Amino acid sequence: MKVTSRKDRFDAAGATAVFVSHDEPDAVRGLMLADVNCPFPVAIDREKTAYRDWGLRSLPLPMIWLDPKVWRQYAKLLSSGERMRSSGGDQRQMGGDFVVDRDGVVAYARPQRRDDRPPVGELLKVIEAL
Amino acid sequence: MTSPPQVGQPAPRLELPTLTGERVELAGLRGRLVLVSFLRHAG
Repeated sequence: MKVTSRKDRFDAAGATAVFVSHDEPDAVRGLMLADVNCPFPVAIDREKTAYRDWGLRSLPLPMIWLDPKVWRQYAKLLSSGERMRSSGGDQRQMGGDFVVDRDGVVAYARPQRRDDRPPVGELLKVIEAL
Repeated sequence: MTSPPQVGQPAPRLELPTLTGERVELAGLRGRLVLVSFLRHAG
């Protein structure tokens, strides 16, 4: 995750980050701690309470399986020798990025619609302008 | 279903356990800018 390599810019702006995942802690631990050594808190929300509180929706299943990107990803994995397996998580759940200002007010909101996460540079520009 | 918060609205509550066994609370970070990033899927 590119955000994790920009901690110096977060520090300079007086900012921090909180990542939230609804997945199994072991899966998240492998991704966020072992793989990218995340310097920010990584919260686990298995019940997806916070996802609901922040209005982040789940896509209908057909929208996932009719997405060519999903099939390209499977083809890439299979061609590299991976086997089809369930990762155990909810692949329909969308994410989102929000910047909260010093008074607890939302200064930037970008709920995910599909695979449309904002570039890290965009998030940093927002943070550095506040 | 709740709609995502809009710019200018108070941030919704966020209080959860972390991978390292602590708790993170957005209200406790008041006074700092905070990027809250909800991940889609770790798989």
